[in-house]
Amino acid sequence: MNNKRLVNILFLFPTVFAFVMIIVVPFFFGLYYSLTDWNGVSPNINFIGFKHYMNLFTLPDFLHSFVITIAFTAINVILVNIVSFSLSLIVTSNLKLRNFYRAGFFVPYLIGGIVLGYIWQFLFNNIFLAIGDSLSIGFLQASFLSKPDTVIWAMSVVNTWQYSGYLMLIYVASIQSIPASLMEAAQVDGAPYLKRVIHILIPMMANAFTISLFLTLTNSFKLFDMNFTLTNGGPATRFLGTPVKASQMFAMNIVDTAQANKMAEAQAKAVVLFLTLVIVALIQVTINKRKEVEM
Amino acid sequence: MKKVLSLLLMVMLATAVYAGGQQGDKDMADGGDVTVTMFQLKVEIKDALDAYAAKYSEMTPGVTVKVETLGGGADFGGAMKAKAQAGEMPDIFVIEGKGGYDVWKDYIANLDDQPWLKDTDLAFMVDGSAYGFPVAIEGYGLAYNADILAKAGIDPATLTTRSAYEKAFMTLEAKKDELGIDAPVAMAASVAGGMWWVAGQHNLAAYWGGGLDFNDTSVIEEALAGKMDEPRFREYAKYVQLLFKYADQNILLNGSYDDQVGSFAQGKTAFLHQGNWVDPNMKQLGVTFKMGYAPHAFTEKPQTGLYLFAPSWYCVNSQSPRAEEAKAFLTAMATTADGQSYIVNEAGMIPAFKSVEIKPTGQLSQALMAANAKGGNYGVFFGMLPDGAGQNVFGPIYDLFAQNQDDLEQFIADMKDAFAQLPNM
Repeated sequence: MNNKRLVNILFLFPTVFAFVMIIVVPFFFGLYYSLTDWNGVSPNINFIGFKHYMNLFTLPDFLHSFVITIAFTAINVILVNIVSFSLSLIVTSNLKLRNFYRAGFFVPYLIGGIVLGYIWQFLFNNIFLAIGDSLSIGFLQASFLSKPDTVIWAMSVVNTWQYSGYLMLIYVASIQSIPASLMEAAQVDGAPYLKRVIHILIPMMANAFTISLFLTLTNSFKLFDMNFTLTNGGPATRFLGTPVKASQMFAMNIVDTAQANKMAEAQAKAVVLFLTLVIVALIQVTINKRKEVEM
Repeated sequence: MKKVLSLLLMVMLATAVYAGGQQGDKDMADGGDVTVTMFQLKVEIKDALDAYAAKYSEMTPGVTVKVETLGGGADFGGAMKAKAQAGEMPDIFVIEGKGGYDVWKDYIANLDDQPWLKDTDLAFMVDGSAYGFPVAIEGYGLAYNADILAKAGIDPATLTTRSAYEKAFMTLEAKKDELGIDAPVAMAASVAGGMWWVAGQHNLAAYWGGGLDFNDTSVIEEALAGKMDEPRFREYAKYVQLLFKYADQNILLNGSYDDQVGSFAQGKTAFLHQGNWVDPNMKQLGVTFKMGYAPHAFTEKPQTGLYLFAPSWYCVNSQSPRAEEAKAFLTAMATTADGQSYIVNEAGMIPAFKSVEIKPTGQLSQALMAANAKGGNYGVFFGMLPDGAGQNVFGPIYDLFAQNQDDLEQFIADMKDAFAQLPNM
């Protein structure tokens, strides 16, 4: 065996070790626990097969969290990417202070989801209400977080505010890697700005879209921290005739189940979340990859 | 390949030896001292308990008590599980009733031989044996601001039936501007604000135990079997509707604990739906007005009692080598002058031990102590419900009723469905 191989293995070892111990082993433990009736503490673990998986799709709160997660993801993927792409166009133009704007748009991403949730909760529940009351603006007089049909939009706004700066950086990097000569040639040929963006910029940066859509998709799908601090799952709404929490997304439903000492059931839900996410992400990446062009 | 493997093995071994060595060093450094760890969830007594633990450690050579507090709606159960999995189970921890006992029973030590046991009626008992040290007596009714009621010409002693409440609320509503209040009642039912427990546990406890004998659990047992006493529930539901209707709507629908308590403390509401645990908050907020408790009277038959319970119990970890030191700490809390003074004067709690003679300074706690002396109070039984029932099932139902306050029938139907599901939870 040569020396190089030894070095390679030694360099790889810490990462592989951590990956196996923290991701792979718990994953298979989790698969096993989802087939039992474990409550998280008790030493008595009974194997019950696929009972949890079959029950899942009769639970209104679980189905609702599934539906609301998909709706939130759809809104978010569109909103975040439109905003971040627009921002990237703005900060790559000949704007004064464009580096200042770049930094400014990125800052929300640096604030953790927990702090951010509480800040926006205060805005929604206190500041907007105060503005609504003093100026007698009807729709601001009840918090957006207290109405089942507006809460998901409020969450999307907060999420967009947080993530678009981060995705903007990806788009900016991609725009800068496109040779300026292409855009200049089109300009000389008389194509207006919008046309140049649609026909040159967007196709040329398809790989950035693949990454950004994948990131927003997975992030929205497994969102927990902001969901927990901003809405805590509330307010309540009715779904399939049962009162459920209107903004309780998939991850939070899993946590709530686990908190009720139903560890195995929560684990089964987590497996379903994993499978759904894998399928959706694979479809998205495959479709996006087809659109990518090589220079 | 062999070389690589042996090298890897060596690295791993070295790591293990190093980690083990560190553990040993730590024990040595303590000089044989024992550290008793306590994990609890009452944020409002954190400072007082920390101070008492420090004092106890100072007075007891060889024993250091370290208290860790997690609370304010945080996931105490989850944190406990994480500790258990990590092999760091605390020596003293908290359970909040039957649910917690069922989960942790492998770790809970028998306390039958403890000296404080004969001094209390509220120890956590299973089959006649004691397993939990009662943290305090807590309780609640509908707290009132006596100054506002006096100004509005309402005598709190008359508030013993639902119609008396309705009359009082209407009077307050009509005189809102004159009294300078936003609404008659500060109540929160918000799932989002984390306040589902006010309605889903404490208010619903009026249905389980209101007007009955202190230990009468027949109503909740019926519910646990899936059935609702509909005439009784209808009376109760009308009372909930009344509270919701006259509550500050913003607090009701998205208020947090601070919003609710703050509004009452500032004199913006005449009634507060919270227990005596708000006394320290009232002190912090510099409240000077007189207050007391009126009963949650939901029937037309007069109800005069308040709701009293031991909300949580300290349990000793039976698998800990420091169990004896942990028991001694609890005993000192119940029997020494310092310990009793901590419970009453510092933490502002009502001790569950009869021999304690110091009185709490908080007005609401005093009102409870007076009610306790008078008797005729009602039990609080939500601890008998399955885990997650309050948070995941009842919470959303109350929240939805708060959003659609006219739909009494829907509320009753939802609750009936929820009761029917209880045996399967």
